[in-house]
Amino acid sequence: MSIARDLDIILAHGPELSASGIDYYKLGLWAAGLPKTRILALNPALPREELARRLRAFLYHGPKHRVLLAALEPQRRALNIIRLLLDEIGINPEFLGVLDLQEALGYLDPKTCSLKAETLIRMAAIMLTRAEPIATQELTVPSRVLVYGDSFAAIKSAVDLADQEYSVLLGFPGPTLHPLVPGVALTQALGEELRQLAAQAQAHPAIRLLPQARILAVEGSAGNFQVRLKTPEEVLEEQVGAMILAPELELRPGDAIGAPASHPRVLTQTRLEEILAAPEEAGDLLGTGDAPLQVAFLGPDSHPLALRRALETAKKFLSRDNCQVLLFIRDAKVGAPGLEADLEEAASSGLIVVKLPGLPALSLENDRPRLRFFDPVMHQEESLACDLLVLAEVYGPGAANAGLIGILNLWPSPPGFLQGDNVRNLPVITNRRGIYVAGPARAAMELDQALAEADAAVSEVHQLLGRGRATAPQGRAVIDRGRCVLCLTCQRLCPHGAVSWDNRAIINELACQGCGICASQCPNEAIQIRNFTDDQVAAAMENLDPRLTPKIIAFLCQNSAWEAYLAAVKMHQAVLPPGFTPLRMPCAGKIDIDYLLKAFTHGADAVLVLGCHPDNCRSQQGNAHALFRVERAQVMLEEAGVDPRRLVFRTLAANAPQDFLAAVRHLADLLEGLKAA
Amino acid sequence: MEDYNKFSAVILGGGIAGITAALELARLGHDVALVEKTPFFGGRAAQLCCKATDACQKCGACLVEGRLTALFQEPRISLYAQTELLESSRTNGFFQLRLKQQPRVINPERCVDCGLCQDECPAAAQGAIITTGVTRNHPRYAVNPAACLFFLDGSCRVCQQICPPTARAIDLDQQEEIIDLEAGAVIVATGYRPADPACRPHYGYGRHPQVISGAELEERLRYGQGLAGSDEEIPRRVAFIQCVGSRDKEHAYCSQVCCAYTLRLARLLKHRQPEAEITTFYMDLQNIGRDAPRFQREALREIKVVRALPGDLRATADGSLRLRYLQEESAAAVEADFDLVVLSVGIGPGPDNAALASLLQAELTPAGFFQAASREQPSQTSRPGLFLAGTASGPRDIAGCITQALATARQASQYVKEL
Repeated sequence: MSIARDLDIILAHGPELSASGIDYYKLGLWAAGLPKTRILALNPALPREELARRLRAFLYHGPKHRVLLAALEPQRRALNIIRLLLDEIGINPEFLGVLDLQEALGYLDPKTCSLKAETLIRMAAIMLTRAEPIATQELTVPSRVLVYGDSFAAIKSAVDLADQEYSVLLGFPGPTLHPLVPGVALTQALGEELRQLAAQAQAHPAIRLLPQARILAVEGSAGNFQVRLKTPEEVLEEQVGAMILAPELELRPGDAIGAPASHPRVLTQTRLEEILAAPEEAGDLLGTGDAPLQVAFLGPDSHPLALRRALETAKKFLSRDNCQVLLFIRDAKVGAPGLEADLEEAASSGLIVVKLPGLPALSLENDRPRLRFFDPVMHQEESLACDLLVLAEVYGPGAANAGLIGILNLWPSPPGFLQGDNVRNLPVITNRRGIYVAGPARAAMELDQALAEADAAVSEVHQLLGRGRATAPQGRAVIDRGRCVLCLTCQRLCPHGAVSWDNRAIINELACQGCGICASQCPNEAIQIRNFTDDQVAAAMENLDPRLTPKIIAFLCQNSAWEAYLAAVKMHQAVLPPGFTPLRMPCAGKIDIDYLLKAFTHGADAVLVLGCHPDNCRSQQGNAHALFRVERAQVMLEEAGVDPRRLVFRTLAANAPQDFLAAVRHLADLLEGLKAA
Repeated sequence: MEDYNKFSAVILGGGIAGITAALELARLGHDVALVEKTPFFGGRAAQLCCKATDACQKCGACLVEGRLTALFQEPRISLYAQTELLESSRTNGFFQLRLKQQPRVINPERCVDCGLCQDECPAAAQGAIITTGVTRNHPRYAVNPAACLFFLDGSCRVCQQICPPTARAIDLDQQEEIIDLEAGAVIVATGYRPADPACRPHYGYGRHPQVISGAELEERLRYGQGLAGSDEEIPRRVAFIQCVGSRDKEHAYCSQVCCAYTLRLARLLKHRQPEAEITTFYMDLQNIGRDAPRFQREALREIKVVRALPGDLRATADGSLRLRYLQEESAAAVEADFDLVVLSVGIGPGPDNAALASLLQAELTPAGFFQAASREQPSQTSRPGLFLAGTASGPRDIAGCITQALATARQASQYVKEL
C-alpha cells in the first residue's frame, strides 16, 4: 500500500557512512525487504566507467522506473552518480529522488539512528512512487512584446528586443519620445550613445512607435495578453506575449516649502536650468557684471539624484567671482557613485552646506526671498536674504502609473511605482508573470542601473517567449474538469494571473509557478499540483513510524524553511526529535486545512507550518494564506478537544537555520510540558 | 593551445555577483568557469544574517541561498575553489589564464565534518583551518596553506593524525595544481573588503571587547553566537556609529550599505529585545530600501538617531562604554553610556585589486576599486572583453550587485557571440 510502484533504490556508501555510525549493510538488507523495491549498494568513489556499468546493469529496464538515491550528503558525495543517472541513463528528474541521510545521524542510540534512516528511506519511497513526470511542452506564442514608457530603459528594452527578432510595440504617453537622464540638468544635451539609442528606436523596422498611447485594458496572461491601446487615431487590439513597463520618472515639487512663493527670484530647479541654458532671456536674475550674487538651493535631499542635479548647477555659480552659493539640506544623500567626492569638491570651491533638522522658513522682504533658520553651529537664529532661491524637485513615479496599476492588476509599493517591494521580485519581476518592470517603473535610480535593468528585463522576456517558441512544464497544475464548478476561487487567488476560464477554469501553464495556493483553497478539490498531491501528503502521514516519538509533522516551504531545515541538519548537525517528519511544500500557501487536521487524526503530536516572512513570499501571499488556514484549523482543533498550541505557524528565511531550530525546540518543549501535565 | 580548458567566460570571484553572473551565462547557454580564492562559495553576502522582524526588512541576504543551491546543480558551470589567477595573456581576442589551485588537503568525499581537525589544530587561531557556515556540496572545513604549520615549515601533521581512521580525509601531501583556462571574456567579481574597524582608533576597536564591527554583529546574529540565542541577553544599551571607513580622507566615498544595515540590525535587536535602547550616531542618513521615507519613519519610532560622530570613547568603572559627542540641539558636549558599540564599517576595495588589475591590465579608481568604462557602462572596462560585476567596481548593495551581474552576463554573452 505505502509503496505504490516499483522502485529502484541506490544506496551510495563511501567510507563516511560507516564513520558516521549507520550500519549501511543492515540498512541495505532492510531496504531490500521493502515491497516492490530492488536495491543496489554502490561506492561513489569507483571509477566513472565502472559506476556507469553497474548502474546500467542494475537499471536494465532503462529509465522507466523511479530511482531513489540515498546517501550522506548526496550532492557532495554522490554527485557523480546523480549526473550519470540524469545525463547518461536519462532518468526523468521527477523520477529521481535524492535523499540525504544526514538527519538520521547524531542520535545517541544506534537503534534510533537506523530506525530514522529507515523512516527517511520509506518516506522518500512513498512520495517518489507517487511522483509523475512533468514533461515540457513547446508552445507557440506571439513573439510580439509591448514596451510601455519613454524612459531610456524602455527605449533600450525595445531596441534590444527588436535586435533579437521580436516585434515590438513601443507605446508612450507623450507626443514624442522624451526620456530624461536622472541627476542631470533637463537642458543638458544627450551623450552620443544615448542619442544613438533614441535614434535607433525611431528607425528600427521591428519597432512600431505608438505616441500618446494609453493602455485601456489587458486580458489574458503570460504568453498571450490581449492589450487594448488607445492612440489619438484609433483603438488598437494587439496580442502580445509579454510586456516591459518603464514609464519615465516625473519631477514634482519637493516638500521644501508648502507652496512655492510666486516670485521671479524663487525658482524651481527646472526653471533655473532653463534660465542657465538661455541666460539672455533671464534679465537681471542671474546678476550683472561683478555685482555680488547670493544663491540658495533649498532641500535637494530626497534622493542622491536630486543632490547630483543641484550640485551640477551649483558648480556653474561657484565658478563665478563674487557669487555665494548655499545648500540647505536635512541630510546629504551621497549614497551614489562619486557623489561624496562631488560634494567635497563643491564645498572646497566655496559651496556652503547648511545641514538643518528642518528646512528654513521663507518670506519675501524688499523684493528678495529671505530665509530664517536656527544655525546649529553658531547656535543662534539666522536670517539670510538671497537673490535666487532654488526649490528642489523630487523624482517621483510617472503619473500614468496610477492607471496601469489597476489595469494590470499590479501590487505597487512604494506608492506609485509598479513593482511590489519584495526581494524575490528583484530586479525586474512583478506579481504578474510576463509583465516586467525596468528602471523608473520601479524606483528613482541612476541611468546606468536603469539600463542594466532593461538588460535583465529583456533577458526575462526572452527566457519566457523564446522568440515565439516557449517551453513550459506540462501538467504541473491539473484541473479535474469533472470536479470544477467554476466558482473561480482559483482565479481570484492566483498570484501569478495564471487562471482563466471557458466553461471550466483553465491554467495557463506558461504563467503557472506551481505554488499551489489555488489547489489548497479549491472548495471542490478539483486542482492538484503534480508531485505535491493530496494523495502523496496523505500517504506520508498514514505511514508515520509509531516507534519514533514525538511525532511532529512539519510542512516546509521549499523557498525558505526547506533550505533552513537542510542547513540546520548539515551545518549545525542538529539532532531533531526522532519523530520529526518534514514534508516539502512548493509554497506555504499549498498547505490545506485538511492536511493540518488529518495530521492529528494520523497520530501527530504536533504540527509545524513554516513559511517565508511577510513580504518575502515568492507567490506574494502564500504565507498569509498559510497563516489564515492555521488559525482556522486551531479553532477547529480546540472544538475537537485538541490543544491548539500543538499547531504552530512561524515564518523564517532560508539563511536562518537557527530560527528553524528554535521553532522545533519550541514544539519539543511544549510537548514535554504537555506530557508532564 | 589545445591543453587549455575552454570556456565562454571565466568569472573571478564566487560571491553573489559572480554566482549570479555565472548562472545567467549558463542560462544563456554558455560554459563558464567560476574561480574563487577561498575554499567556499557564497562570498560575503552569504555571511550576512536575516534581518526580518515581524516582516521582511528587504535586505536581500536570503537571496544567496537559492542561488548557491542552483550553482552546485548547474552542469555548465565549472567550479574552482581555493584558486587564484597567476598569469593572463591574450591571443586572437581570447584570454589565456593560468591559475593556481591550492592543495585540496581535505577530501570532500571522505570528510564527515566532525571538526576534530579544527579542534586540535595548534594554529587554528591563526586561521590554519577555516570553516564555513554555508555548505552545499563541500566540507565545512578547509586547510589554509598560508597559515598551516605543515605548509609553513613542515613541523605539524596533527590534523592528518587526528582525522578518524574510518574517514582518513586529510592528506597534507596533496600538491597545488596549475590550471590553464581559455576564455572569450573575463568577469571580475572579486568583491570588497570591509573597512578596517580600527581605522578610527579613538573608537577603541581591539581595545574594548564591547566594541565590535557591523560585520561581526551580522556574524553573531547569523550563527547564533550570543546575541541571537537565548543563552545570552542582548545588551540593553547599544550604539551604532556610522561612516567608519567611509566619507573621510582615505575613503572619499559613501559606502551606500551601512545606513541600511545599521538601521535594519538596530530594528532586529529592538524586535528581539524590546527593552533595548538603541542609538545611531550618524552624519547623514541615506535612503534605505525602495520606500525610504516610510522605512525611516518606522525606524525612527524605535531607534534614537543622533547627528554627531562621537569624539571619544572610554570605559567606565562599571564596565560600560562612555561616548562623548556634540549635541546638535544644545551645541553642548554630552556623554552617554552603552553596553555595546557597533562600528558600521564601510565597503573597501578588495585586498588583491592592485595585483589583479596589473595582471589583467585593468585600471583602478583612486579609491582602489576597478574602474568602469564610464558611468553609463558600469559593467565594462576600457579593455574589451574584460567585464566587472558587483562591488569590485565600488560600493553596491545585494540588490544592486544582482542587477548589475545580470547585465554584465548579458553583455559578456553578446561579446563572446560576436568574437
